[in-house]
Amino acid sequence: MKAEQIFKELGLEFEKLKVKGNTLPRYKAEVKPEKLEEAIIKFKSNGFNHFVALSCIDWIKDEKFELVYHLFSYKEKEDVFLSIFLPRKEPKYKTLRHLFPQIETYEREIHEMFGVEFEGNDRLGEFILEDWDDMPPMRKDFDTVAYAKKKYESVPLIDEGGEKE
Amino acid sequence: MKEFELFIGPQHPGITGNFMYHLWVDGDTIVKAEAHPGYLHRGFEKLMERRTWQMNVALIPRICVPEPDVNEAVYAMAVESLMDWDIPERAKYIRTMVLEMARISSHLLTMGGYAGSIGLYTVGQWAVGDRDYLLDLFEQLTGARVYHIFIFPGGVRWDLPDGFLRKLEKVLNYLESRLEFYDKLLFANEVFFRRAPDVGVIPEDKAIEWGVTGPNLRACGYNYDIRKLDPYAAYPDLDFEIPHYPKFGDFEVLGHGCDCYSRMLVRRLEIEQSIKILRQVIKKMPEGPHTLKLPNPLAWKVPAGYAYARVESSKGEYGYFVISDGGKMPYRVHVRGPSYTHGINVTETIAKGLNIADFSQTIFSLDVCAPDIER
Repeated sequence: MKAEQIFKELGLEFEKLKVKGNTLPRYKAEVKPEKLEEAIIKFKSNGFNHFVALSCIDWIKDEKFELVYHLFSYKEKEDVFLSIFLPRKEPKYKTLRHLFPQIETYEREIHEMFGVEFEGNDRLGEFILEDWDDMPPMRKDFDTVAYAKKKYESVPLIDEGGEKE
Repeated sequence: MKEFELFIGPQHPGITGNFMYHLWVDGDTIVKAEAHPGYLHRGFEKLMERRTWQMNVALIPRICVPEPDVNEAVYAMAVESLMDWDIPERAKYIRTMVLEMARISSHLLTMGGYAGSIGLYTVGQWAVGDRDYLLDLFEQLTGARVYHIFIFPGGVRWDLPDGFLRKLEKVLNYLESRLEFYDKLLFANEVFFRRAPDVGVIPEDKAIEWGVTGPNLRACGYNYDIRKLDPYAAYPDLDFEIPHYPKFGDFEVLGHGCDCYSRMLVRRLEIEQSIKILRQVIKKMPEGPHTLKLPNPLAWKVPAGYAYARVESSKGEYGYFVISDGGKMPYRVHVRGPSYTHGINVTETIAKGLNIADFSQTIFSLDVCAPDIER
């Protein structure tokens, strides 16, 4: 089934993303967090069975995290991006790894890099970083320079009298 | 004690990069595997948010070491989508040429690595030597051997140097003549026949659901290639086939697909197709400008919005999800590397029941590239 038809049946409004270079159409829609699982199941059972990626975006001005679930259909040749918004304070969502197993890995990364909690995923924890002792580093308010200064004080920066190589 | 633990990596000849697998084994059978990335994390996605749109071009090739050009191509395509730019025909052809040269050189490395994992070390030495001819061409074209920083949003950085296509033709003829030696040494070798078929099998009905893409998916019998499916650059004008199980031409079909044997044969046949594509590119290379007239590099204003671009890399689907808020720098860039699924979920699942000695050939045949997992 075509994506437009599925969006219609789910009662969702969608926008078409601009595409140059590639040729297939891409649709993006905002879904309420409690309706997302139902929507993904609907898309999956209608041919959208390739889960491409799960991305997280930190909209710090709006105090929100956006999670984008990206699906592709080899049959219909269409891309679908379903996004949900979570509050930036105590972001929490449930795991969807039972739908596509690789979602587990994306959730582990987003938990580590953005601090989003996924209920039901028992593999959250150390993944890429090791002995991390600060706020999740991909958040917009994480200051890499300040962190480097604090963590590696024995190496002064060039602006502060450090030596040029 | 029945089970014991075994670490493959991060320093191990049987691993495909700075990456580690933690195995639990019973006798010499693997009962559980866990992937441990992190040794190559350099925070590219964070760094990209602090650099201008054009500065990022110098940063991103480093995300995938054996095949850096795909990063430049997808980034450029995503930025062009946001900017609404149509690039000149010549730029499309030059991009196709660069991407196919990169595909051959990456497949050569994989073939060498794979052969090493089943004890045929000569293939690796030959492959690295033959790849050098391609690196020489890259050096002449872009000034660099490994990280080319050549494909820019709007086109490519420079036009072709004089006589470049003639030299490319020569290298192609040479590589084609070398294929029979690789066949004799690896693809018609008894060791390969005995060790590769039906080893490291991905269940065919689960392949798409598990996010398997590229040659690994085609080894399961699916005829899917982004170059045909979601065409980009000059691919729609070019004629080529998609090798997939069980269409292996003159090669014997052993095993039942989705295994190390099919995955390596698909790669071997793709080299032939890439040579065919490059020959057509040489013939059809159009005249004209190689890039659009670009705005002031310090003041690019990329309209706000979301864009996703994807290409077929030698390892599978490679995509960038780029988000702009209308500023001088990207708001967020998410890299979708093919090894993210192949190296973690797929390997962890299919490793169960494998013999320890077959583990290395399985990850080499999946072509797991550690740097695109953790960026």
